[in-house]
Amino acid sequence: MSRTATETVDTITASPSVKRASLIGARIPKLDAPDKATGLTRYLDDIKLPRMLYGKILFAHRPHAHILSIDTSAAVTMKGVRAVITADDIDLVPFGFGRDNTALKKDKITCVRDELAAVAADTPEIAAEAIKRIRVSYEDLPVVGTVEQAIAAGAPVIHEKTPDNQPFHFDYEHGDIDLGIRASDVIVEDTYNLQRQTHCCMGTAGIIAQFDAQGILTLHSLTQVPSLYKHDLSRIINVPPQDIRVIQPPIGGAFGSKLDIHPFEPICVFLARATSRPVKLTFTREEEFMATPTRQPMMIHLRSGAQKDGTFTFRDVRMTLDNGGRTSWGATTPWISMRTFSSLYRVPHVRQHVDVIYTNNIYACAFRGYGNPQATFALESQIDVLAEKLGMDPLTLRLKNAQQPGETTGQGMVLRTCGLADCLKTATKHAGWDVKRSPPGKQKTGRVRGLGMASMFHVGGGAKIHRSDGCGTMLRIDDFGVATVQTGSSEIGQGSETVIAQIVAEELGLDIGKVRVLNSNSDYKPWDVGVHASRTTFIAGNSALRAAREARGKILDAAADHLNLDSVDLDLYGGQVIKRSTGEPLVTIDKIIRGMHFGRKNDMIMTTDFYEPPSEIPDEHSKGDISACYAFGTHVAEVEVDLETGVVKVLGISAAHDVGRVINQLGIEGQLEGGIAQGIGYALTEEVKVENGRVLNLTFTDYKIPTSCEVPELKMVFLETNDPAGPFGAKGMAEAPLVPVAPAIANAVYNATGVRINELPLTPERVLRRIQESRDSESE
Amino acid sequence: MTPTSAFYSPKTLDELLELAAAPDTTILAGGTDLMPRWTKNIHPTPKTVVDAKHIEQLKGVKCKDNIISVGACTPLDELAENPTIQRASPVLAEAAGKVACPQVRNRATIGGNLVNASPAADTAVPLILLDAAIVIAAQGPTGAVSREIPITAFFRGPGQTALKAGEILTTIRFHTSAGEGTWAWQKFGTRPSMEIAVASVGMILRIEDEIVAHTRIGYGSVAPVPMRGAATEAALLGQRLNEDVLTRCVEAAQDEITPISDIRASAAYRREVIGTMLRRMLIHAKGK
Amino acid sequence: MQKANDKLCIEFEVNGEAVSISVSPSTSLLESLRDHLELTGTKYGCGDGECGACSIMLNGKIVNSCLVLAVECHGSKMTTIEGLANGKHLHPIQEAFVKNGAIQCGFCSPGMIMSAYALLDKNPAPCEAEVKRALEGNLCRCTGYRKIIDAVLSVAHGGSAHE
Ligand SMILES: Cc1cc2nc3c(=O)[nH]c(=O)nc-3n(C[C@@H](O)[C@@H](O)[C@H](O)COP(=O)(O)OP(=O)(O)OC[C@H]3O[C@@H](n4cnc5c(N)ncnc54)[C@H](O)[C@@H]3O)c2cc1C
Ligand code: FES
Ligand code: FES
Repeated sequence: MSRTATETVDTITASPSVKRASLIGARIPKLDAPDKATGLTRYLDDIKLPRMLYGKILFAHRPHAHILSIDTSAAVTMKGVRAVITADDIDLVPFGFGRDNTALKKDKITCVRDELAAVAADTPEIAAEAIKRIRVSYEDLPVVGTVEQAIAAGAPVIHEKTPDNQPFHFDYEHGDIDLGIRASDVIVEDTYNLQRQTHCCMGTAGIIAQFDAQGILTLHSLTQVPSLYKHDLSRIINVPPQDIRVIQPPIGGAFGSKLDIHPFEPICVFLARATSRPVKLTFTREEEFMATPTRQPMMIHLRSGAQKDGTFTFRDVRMTLDNGGRTSWGATTPWISMRTFSSLYRVPHVRQHVDVIYTNNIYACAFRGYGNPQATFALESQIDVLAEKLGMDPLTLRLKNAQQPGETTGQGMVLRTCGLADCLKTATKHAGWDVKRSPPGKQKTGRVRGLGMASMFHVGGGAKIHRSDGCGTMLRIDDFGVATVQTGSSEIGQGSETVIAQIVAEELGLDIGKVRVLNSNSDYKPWDVGVHASRTTFIAGNSALRAAREARGKILDAAADHLNLDSVDLDLYGGQVIKRSTGEPLVTIDKIIRGMHFGRKNDMIMTTDFYEPPSEIPDEHSKGDISACYAFGTHVAEVEVDLETGVVKVLGISAAHDVGRVINQLGIEGQLEGGIAQGIGYALTEEVKVENGRVLNLTFTDYKIPTSCEVPELKMVFLETNDPAGPFGAKGMAEAPLVPVAPAIANAVYNATGVRINELPLTPERVLRRIQESRDSESE
Repeated sequence: MTPTSAFYSPKTLDELLELAAAPDTTILAGGTDLMPRWTKNIHPTPKTVVDAKHIEQLKGVKCKDNIISVGACTPLDELAENPTIQRASPVLAEAAGKVACPQVRNRATIGGNLVNASPAADTAVPLILLDAAIVIAAQGPTGAVSREIPITAFFRGPGQTALKAGEILTTIRFHTSAGEGTWAWQKFGTRPSMEIAVASVGMILRIEDEIVAHTRIGYGSVAPVPMRGAATEAALLGQRLNEDVLTRCVEAAQDEITPISDIRASAAYRREVIGTMLRRMLIHAKGK
Repeated sequence: MQKANDKLCIEFEVNGEAVSISVSPSTSLLESLRDHLELTGTKYGCGDGECGACSIMLNGKIVNSCLVLAVECHGSKMTTIEGLANGKHLHPIQEAFVKNGAIQCGFCSPGMIMSAYALLDKNPAPCEAEVKRALEGNLCRCTGYRKIIDAVLSVAHGGSAHE
């Protein structure tokens, strides 16, 4: 059984004069859970519109080639086929972060998942058969399967406009590296290799597109970012954004995968346009493995130094990204990696250089943690190496350099609250760090145990990368005392709907069942930048709270009027206006509202709010206070390693997170448990294997995500630092729990075996090989 | 999946054999191997599908005159929980119970597991240890004709068996005494559940006065077919389980297997894992 | 079983209701449930028997409906996720999933709940290890399984699993 505790640090909540049960911090089941438990929830795949057709895509299935011709005649003439399209039938508008992608490809194939043609047909079977009948003639080109091949002299050029195959370089610096090097007593350096992990949303990707007679396009879309999506998609499909309606049905998992526009989305729109009928396009699992982007693979070369007393001096980072054949958001993940290198611990001199390299491999997009798991793996692994060189305990070294509240990091991020030191102390205490941990032994056979730790740093109050990082709310309370909250935020399974309902219910003294959250249709949804950067609780929560606070004021004023009392003496609780001093119920809220509505006032309670966090867009040197607050956490992993097979078993994880304030205990535990499971998968088994551009594992049998049998013992502690900017003090923490898992495990494997492994996943074969290599080098 | 045009669900073996004799016909048992291949179009869907699951004669476990007969269409879950199997050949019950997950075990049959002829088929190694015989039937000029071959002769290569067109695997037979002794079976995968074996080892040992008096050893996923470890057996038989013998056994095993490298593991790693599992099993057996 | 063109007419019982549908011999049970009977609570997650999202009870046993042909089910009895709740009352397992926070995106939940149902049907008081094994064919990417296991244990032990 998992153990959880919430520890409060520096509580600053003003206590109401009468003690009463609060919804904040309670264990509130998700509001949509009963429908999900009974199978009533209609996911995208469950929606069938009248006269709907089924779309299917022809993928290239070869990594690098010229397209000589595409013959669709045998598909077009099939009974039940309503449209077949190729690049010749559409406007080829470049899109994606590198503007190097188009919905369908003309002339050139740069990776196996390139989309060549698409079909809309009466049934999925006919569509699949039609795809098989399309004949493409290719001229295969030499495959650039690795970064080394891509930068070698005379390498085949993948995109003509980038003759050196190096589309982007990013640089960051604070302080002066040379000073840092000179100030160091100890310097260590290593290269870390991080693999492709894929989201494995249980519901596969898909979309439904439908035009109405006025040319309005309705999309049932899984996007996590509806407002930006409309804007960006509009260009590609040549439909004005105001003519696009986005309906977001419940979603079978996202984890970042629905942040970008993927080619299948405009393709489906083109099919709907070609047929004048609704078209649904969904992926099979095999397509999902091959044709959805992954976590960005990275090679990180890291050098860092410290003084004898453990004070960190500098950190020099070179990252190489295998960008694949096209560019999605993966290329930008180093912008987040950089924050960990610069700001998880105090370090005066930091430099990061990034080379993004085209290959003929599949490409990457956003994935929970966004470049941070990779950076944290490198950094936290290397800190343990430094600790050993310095002869210090890894905990002591981290505590010595931990950021403190009130500091501004080298990258300009202002840590108004910061629980890192407490996280370090708490997680290690719960894991029994002092009593259980001993240096690696000399055992050669059987199984050995070890403990390892890692911390993390992530934005907790949004990330201002667009000119606005805000979110809107429209709130109304009806005659029956039911509050309807239209929020800009989206529910992707993470429970944001419930958190917003809780915040509003708390502020208005309503039963949570009396709050409805509407968030799935762009016709009424206020603007929001989207679900990413762990921002929803913080930003949408703040917006909802402010709208509710205004509504609360209006109710209290009306009640004061009605009761002939001063509004400061009143409060709202349990659906009633109560006397603040005694808690005595005076009149129900709905009665007050009906009184406003039908009485002389002729008014209703409707409020709106747009919350823009007090963060800033980083300057041209990537510096600035990008988020309204920052989240910290520490994990300690205990592992058992079989020295003769290389099997690593995670026995337990103790996690402590600075979450500001817990809003929904059940929800936050769920985020942590789920994030840890994904982190264990990243650490031990998950890798999309790509060889010479081809994806080798396209099933759950060969791409292994954790199952119910791999749940370790978890101890979770949520440290409440009560962030002054957060709703009720809360920070975001959706991405945080995944981030430190892999390095904590790798450090534990080192502690158990004395063997350091700088690449993931820690598969039995890799672990055994490293153990043997280290023995061979010892005996030499 | 491309359409199949006919589906039959015969109730007797004779009907089944008659249907099986027609061209472009596939026998369907639990469908756990066939369905994924059909939906992915790895194998073209046949014109005719014949469901073999409703023939009483092909189902269940019987024991008569010390011979245990397992119907080819017995689901693995039933096999794993069958008291006769648990008593007389626990090694088979263990392996059947470790295939995939409850959903798959409820459908997957032992016959399908064998005919599918994967080197990783989990029931194959235990049946090799039990010296099982495979009973095969076909339609003859005057009713069913059947033949019996040893399990080791049944597998011909990955996905290939001794079955000829129109032949059906009806029964698997072994002697109740075959399972006597200390036994062990283990599959190795990169995670603890839902795993196709990277390598598997099974053994039955009878130790008398500290000397190995009888032994059967088998390996899965380390050769084109599930195999009997004859050389390992030879290194064991008549010996005491001391460190020397253990070392020789491991060498013999690593020598006689012929693993390949694939996406799940390298050949070298498979060799090592077989060695480790074998050594640990023998040490454990000695302790018993 | 009757033949209609190349389709076959089959009859079976789902959630206590007799139904008859006509399907081609290559249609999976999963497709029939979802498309012909609009029982969309049963989900497609892989079509390969690897994820458990399509789990249903077929003749008293838990199976992956993606691995079964509809035509195999003539005369069968099935229970899908839609058949567990009794009118407005959630089944105790569903109730436990809701209360324990075992549902996030919810896509795995119908299959997960059916597997739990099959387990408790056979073994009303499983230990934690048995629960884990019973759910090993059901993948969940959101929850990390802890709360799902707790939910099942809470039903088995007639109370809340949370300390
Ligand atoms: C998710 C998943 C995980 C799995 N994990 C494992 C595992 O861990 N270990 C393992 O060993 N297997 C595993 N398998 C495969 C296993 O389920 C099958 O090998 C199963 O035992 C096959 O039996 P079936 O009845 O389902 O065969 P079917 O799919 O019905 O048939 C398989 C083949 O055998 C033929 N056939 C079946 N019965 C007969 C007969 N009586 N006479 C002649 N031909 C016949 C069929 O025509 C077909 O060619 C897994 C499968 C899945 C889907
Ligand atoms: S859809 Fe049937 S097991 Fe995944
Ligand atoms: S709740 Fe999302 S997959 Fe389980």
